[in-house]
Amino acid sequence: MPDLKSEKLQTFEEQALPLMPQLYGAALRWTRNPSDAEDLVQETYAKAFGAWAKFEQGTNLKAWLFRIMTNTHINLYNKKAKDKAKTALDDLEDWQIGAGESVTSRSSRSAEAEALDNLPSGVIKNALDEIPDEFRMVVYYAVVEGLPYAEIAEVMDTPVGTVMSRLHRGKKLLRTLLHDYASQEGYDVSEKEGK
Amino acid sequence: MKQVDCEEVKHSVHEFLHSEMHETEIQTITGHIANCDSCEEHYDLEVVFNQVIQRSCDEAPVPELAERVMQRLREVQDHG
Repeated sequence: MPDLKSEKLQTFEEQALPLMPQLYGAALRWTRNPSDAEDLVQETYAKAFGAWAKFEQGTNLKAWLFRIMTNTHINLYNKKAKDKAKTALDDLEDWQIGAGESVTSRSSRSAEAEALDNLPSGVIKNALDEIPDEFRMVVYYAVVEGLPYAEIAEVMDTPVGTVMSRLHRGKKLLRTLLHDYASQEGYDVSEKEGK
Repeated sequence: MKQVDCEEVKHSVHEFLHSEMHETEIQTITGHIANCDSCEEHYDLEVVFNQVIQRSCDEAPVPELAERVMQRLREVQDHG
C-alpha cells in the first residue's frame, strides 16, 4: 500500500520542482544575491509543500508559488519598516519621477536602443537592484516572466492599477539609472551615428 | 477609427506590449504608429529595453539546489 505522504511529495515534486529556474530567477530579484535567493527558494518550497492541499489543481501553479514567495520574503526579512518608504514613491506624481531620460542625451531613439543593447548585463542587473523591491518585482514579472497584470496583482497582493503604475515608474527609474551610468562611463553612441 | 495623440500613444506602450489592451485599442495604436515615426521609435526602443532586461536576468540555479530543496521537503514531510 503506498504511503500517502510520499505520494504527496511525489506529486509536488513532479509539478512544482520543474518551476525552480523561474522561482530562483524571481528570488534573485527579491534578495539580490545568490545565497539568500537559494534560501528563499527553499523556504518557498517548504511553505508551498505545507500548503499543497490548498492548491487548486488546474490553476496557475507558478503564480501560486510566486505569491507564496512574496509572503515568505516579507516574513523572512521583516520588511514592514521599509514599506513606508516604498509607498512614498507610489504617492509621487509622474513628473517627480523624471521623464525616464534617454540613455544617451544627444541621440535619436534608435541610437539609444543601440546604446541600451550594448550595456553589459551586470549594469542592467545593478540598476534593477537599485530600484525599490515592489517596483523591481513588477518589472520582472511583467517583462521577464510575461505575467498578465491581473496575475502580478495577485502575486504582489496589490490592485491592478498599482501594478500598472509600478511598471511605468519602475521602467522610468531604470531608464534614468542607466542614463546616469551611460553618461558616467562614456557609453556614447555618437561615433556610431554615421554608420 | 478613434483619433489619439502621440502622448496618449506613448503612454500606452507598456499596456500594448504586455497585451493588456482591447482589440479596438490595439487597432487604434497600430494605425497611429504606422503613420508616426516618433511613436514607432518610442515603441521600438521599449521593445529593445525589454529584451535587454530579459537577457540580463538569465541566471540559472546551481544543480545542487534541487537536491537541497528535496531534502528540505523530506524533513517537512517527516515532521509534518
